Amino acid sequence: MQSSLQINNLKLFRQNELLLSVNEQINGGEILTIMGPSGSGKSSLLNWLTGSLPQGFHAKGEVLLNNNNITNTAAHLRHVGVLYQDALLFSHLSVAGNISFAMPAGNKKQRLEKIDDALEQFGLSGFANRHPDNLSGGQQARVALLRVLLSEPKAILLDEPFSKLDVQLREDTRQLVFEQIRYHQLPALMVTHDHSDAEAAGGKIITLTRPAAKAEIKQIRE
Amino acid sequence: MPTIKFAPIKIVTRSSFCFIAFIIFALSSTSLVVSANIGGTIETPKTVSTTSPTVKSSEQTAPSKHWKNIENSGRNQDVFFHAWGGDPQINSYIKWVAEQVKAKYNINLQQVKLSDTSEAVSRVLAEKSANNDNQGSVDLVWINGANFAAMAEHSLLLKNWANELPNFTLTDPINNPAVTLDFGVPTQGMESPWGQASLSFYYDELATTNPPKTLNELLVWSKKNPGRFSYPKPPDFLGMSFLKYALVVLHQQSDAITQVQDKSQTQAQLYLPTTPENIEIILEPLWAFLEVLHPQLWRKGEHFMQSGVEMRRLVDDTELSVAFTFSAPEVPAAVQRYDLPNSIRSYAMQDGSLSNTHFVAIPYNASHQQSAQLVANFLLSPQAQAYKQKANVWGDRSVLIHSALSDAEQALFKAQQPHPSALPVDSIKATLSEPHPSWVSAITDGWQARYGVTR
Amino acid sequence: MSLENNTQVVFNNKQVDDKQVNNKQVSKSAVATDWFTVMVKHSPKFLLLLLVVPVFGGLIGVILPALGWAPVLNQYHIGLQAFSELWDTTGLGQMVALSVATGLISTFIAFVITLMILAAFFNSVWLARIQQILSPILVIPHAAAAIAVGFLIAPSGMISRLISPWLSGWEFAPHGIFPHDNYGLSIILGLTLKELPFLLLMALGALAQPELGKKLRQQHKVALNLGYCPMTAFFKVILPSLYPLLRLPLLAVLAYASSSVEMPLILGPNTPPTLAVAIMHWFNDVDLNLRLKASAGALLQLAVTGGILVLWLLAEKMVRVLFCEMLTNGKREYGGAFWQKITSVITTLVVLFITLSLVGLVLWSVAGFWRFPAILPDSLTLLHWQSAIMQMGTPLFNTISIGLITTLIAITLTLFCLEAEQIKGKKVSPFISLIIYMPLMVPSIAFLFGLVLIQQLIPQFIAVKTVYISYINVVIAHILFVLPYVFLSLSSSYRQLDKRFAIVAASLGAKPSKVFFKVKLPQLLTPILIAFALGLAISFGQYLPTLLAGGGRISTITTEAVTLANGASRRTSAVYALMQMLLPLIGFILAWVLPKFIYKSANR
Repeated sequence: MQSSLQINNLKLFRQNELLLSVNEQINGGEILTIMGPSGSGKSSLLNWLTGSLPQGFHAKGEVLLNNNNITNTAAHLRHVGVLYQDALLFSHLSVAGNISFAMPAGNKKQRLEKIDDALEQFGLSGFANRHPDNLSGGQQARVALLRVLLSEPKAILLDEPFSKLDVQLREDTRQLVFEQIRYHQLPALMVTHDHSDAEAAGGKIITLTRPAAKAEIKQIRE
Repeated sequence: MPTIKFAPIKIVTRSSFCFIAFIIFALSSTSLVVSANIGGTIETPKTVSTTSPTVKSSEQTAPSKHWKNIENSGRNQDVFFHAWGGDPQINSYIKWVAEQVKAKYNINLQQVKLSDTSEAVSRVLAEKSANNDNQGSVDLVWINGANFAAMAEHSLLLKNWANELPNFTLTDPINNPAVTLDFGVPTQGMESPWGQASLSFYYDELATTNPPKTLNELLVWSKKNPGRFSYPKPPDFLGMSFLKYALVVLHQQSDAITQVQDKSQTQAQLYLPTTPENIEIILEPLWAFLEVLHPQLWRKGEHFMQSGVEMRRLVDDTELSVAFTFSAPEVPAAVQRYDLPNSIRSYAMQDGSLSNTHFVAIPYNASHQQSAQLVANFLLSPQAQAYKQKANVWGDRSVLIHSALSDAEQALFKAQQPHPSALPVDSIKATLSEPHPSWVSAITDGWQARYGVTR
Repeated sequence: MSLENNTQVVFNNKQVDDKQVNNKQVSKSAVATDWFTVMVKHSPKFLLLLLVVPVFGGLIGVILPALGWAPVLNQYHIGLQAFSELWDTTGLGQMVALSVATGLISTFIAFVITLMILAAFFNSVWLARIQQILSPILVIPHAAAAIAVGFLIAPSGMISRLISPWLSGWEFAPHGIFPHDNYGLSIILGLTLKELPFLLLMALGALAQPELGKKLRQQHKVALNLGYCPMTAFFKVILPSLYPLLRLPLLAVLAYASSSVEMPLILGPNTPPTLAVAIMHWFNDVDLNLRLKASAGALLQLAVTGGILVLWLLAEKMVRVLFCEMLTNGKREYGGAFWQKITSVITTLVVLFITLSLVGLVLWSVAGFWRFPAILPDSLTLLHWQSAIMQMGTPLFNTISIGLITTLIAITLTLFCLEAEQIKGKKVSPFISLIIYMPLMVPSIAFLFGLVLIQQLIPQFIAVKTVYISYINVVIAHILFVLPYVFLSLSSSYRQLDKRFAIVAASLGAKPSKVFFKVKLPQLLTPILIAFALGLAISFGQYLPTLLAGGGRISTITTEAVTLANGASRRTSAVYALMQMLLPLIGFILAWVLPKFIYKSANR
């Protein structure tokens, strides 16, 4: 069965003001890109999807992951992975620690092998016992991606994931991330400012306007 | 606890001293109503007869030159009065005194509130050791009993001033040994009497209708009402007073039985300094009595309250049903302040009431000796003594002898209608003198060794 | 160490000079001879002196008598006599055991509950609510808290009144063991309730640091997205980063709990008491020779507290080794829902307990007759307040004046030291930070008495009235305890201040002193006021330092409250305990209101 992330008739409010409304389905391997100025509700949309909508916001509508309604599921039971612009690696753990933290519990040896394989695949062999704070930005981004992937998510959210990287690194990392999303056939939703990100994603792009303009959604391109 | 407390001190023989636990309140006062007259019950100071000296009041005698000098040099200074500070009523009385001496002599009287009088004693001792012989921090101290004995022994007190106070004559010292003997130790003018007190009991009418009237009855009553009686942990002065009361009564009883054949066991020994030989023998009846009493006490005698005031509070809490005090007027005063319930009644033990006088003394190195004497003299004035005796002020019995006062002064002492919870007039049938101060440490040491640590 | 410091200072001056030559723009503001700059630069040394001299002087004043050398007592025989006397003390083992057990257990429970609350309510609105409810507890002095807890758990206390006689059948107060129970349970309860808010607020304070807090919250989110239950996420992700920031407060709590005097005095047993209380009694005993034993006892206390700190650090290491594997085993759920419920129950109980204590305290302070088992007093009266306030003049004046002077000195020094940091361009050395927090780690009973012994020699040399000396002593002793907290509270705001403001001001020609007073301080108004209120609260609550340094001649609301706590009437103690709470509360309310008022008028 093909995996999918469905957002049905979402209306997101700040206090009582409508921020945005979305009704979309993302299939496995597809990347839906959301663009818009700050304050337009992009982050709130992500927060709603991960189940951590802050106080002062509320939403109507539902979200289905692989046809399971997860609208009211606790954040940690959703199996929705997120990549932020900061790698947010745990500085009390090593690189391997960060990854095995994310992996499902299981046989210790198998897990370690899996980590080594993954690191190697990502050009990070020998980094297992390094401290994450000593890694370069690109390396950190790759570890963060590995961490999400090995947690075996059912969907992935990208919150301006490349905006802190410089141009060359940005392209490389972006390519890696998108490849992996397609490889694992994960539905993905990306929030970004950057047009090149949006184009590289190759999926549908939604542009939000300022909330004052009443949450109109212009569809630029199918 | 408006009262009189004296803090038992320990002139310690360190080995026997296990830690002395909390001495939180304690202090000061009292001395025997009596005298060298060893033994038996002693009459409360006689209301002095017409044969007494004809001095009528301080106002009437011309102040001596000596006193004039003191009045002149003592004005306009600070006086640090080290006094047990655990009772708000007494503290407010001292505050009132401060206002009076401020107006009278422009003296700035400050109470240094002690939780134990021994603190002041150790301070003066420390100053002496440090050769501070005229800049002492203690100007006046509320004291009696063991603390006085200790200070006198170490020559820490100013001598021959108290007998020179103009108001001292109002205590009729010639016929009234209670003001010149402190637990049997002559005061030699080192301390000026301030008030006097007897051990009296009170109970909660709603909890028990038949309180124990003798030491033996107390034992019986405690068995019927387990956990409803206790006494403050020695060396607290009130707890110590209870133990002394028990000790004196026990010896009275055994003396009565043995007809005082064996001199070494008699009650008389209680009025002489302890000797290493007699401590065990004399205290034996007390320990035997406590062995029986303790299991019936509050918290099975495994924990003791720290002070008399705490005991009073436990009566208010209904944890205890019978308690005792060294200052009978504190009881109605506490009821009026809501600190005790309305159902409290006071009484005196039929087998005798322990009595003593409490004093103020001036350390030899006090910075403001003249001012301190002015204050001490004021404390002895009919005005101050009468105000102190009022039940709603402090209720501490005056040390002045009525016949030495003028009519106007006597009128100051007129009592108000007694409160239902007050000790009925004339209920003290027999008084018991305080044993020699050295017994305090003997009892404390023995008590600590036996009951100081819960097994 | 000091040599090294000196060279650093010189070196830094040089650097500044070099810069001056190179960069004319800054030259005016960086003249090394500017009195302000010189003063500021020397302030860390002064601070060091102010802290080191009393603490080490005090320790020496304890060590020498413990070894038998006490000129004041005419004792010159060096030996271990005092220790063997201490050793022979009946019940010494029980005293030590009581100190260790109450200190360790109360800290451990407070820490565990803190973690459970944080874990269960991390990133939830409830955390802020719990914080709001518990933070006022922080300003309640230990003595007042002990009095309130004592009222609650006594056989005739609020708890027993609530169930009597309808449930229990008690017409008179039952036979109970609280407070003053032999096992120290009352002390543990009192300490736990008092330390819990402290630890919780310390943790929340760390989480409130903008960068760290944001990072940890995001990491928590990441863990949730990775499928971790919120409580597990807290323990596996947040705690390892948060704990290092809690270590210092924890050690301070441990040191305090194992050596404090107020709580055991008001709630503890007396057959025998805790070690610290026994030491205090020995020091105050008339028999001056007992002071040698007390000094030996103080050293034992030092060892006991040191031992507890080491034990804790070892346990910490062990926990790290044992649980390090668990962090990355991938297990996401350890019965989170169950623990969440337990935590809610415990939190509710704690809040209820505290509320009930406070309600009891307020009721007692205005109670007329109030016989057990009535839940409410028969009548209400203001008599106790009236008579207490009549008595309160001097203590109140002392409390406030000492608090103001102490806090003013502490804040000035702290600000200067922090400014010195910025001038030198680096943080105060780890050595100095260690010294700043030292008074919190060394049991105060161990060095305060030594301080007193030394101070007793002073009046002979200085022709000042002894009252003033006592007063100054108390101020110095208070500074030792106020400084660390003021420093803790001010340093992060000061360091976070956007340095570009100062650069802009300097480029406009403002002298360093002007930049400091006109630019930095106004920007820091709110943190300074809060630090001020905190300093006042700490000073108001000091019992042992006031009692000892003042030689008992300086009475404050706190010393009065402790003196009255086990005696007199519940009603009077309640008034004093409430006064103890009101004073710091007023400080914090002012700190909260004043900036709004000032900004409002500035905006006009």
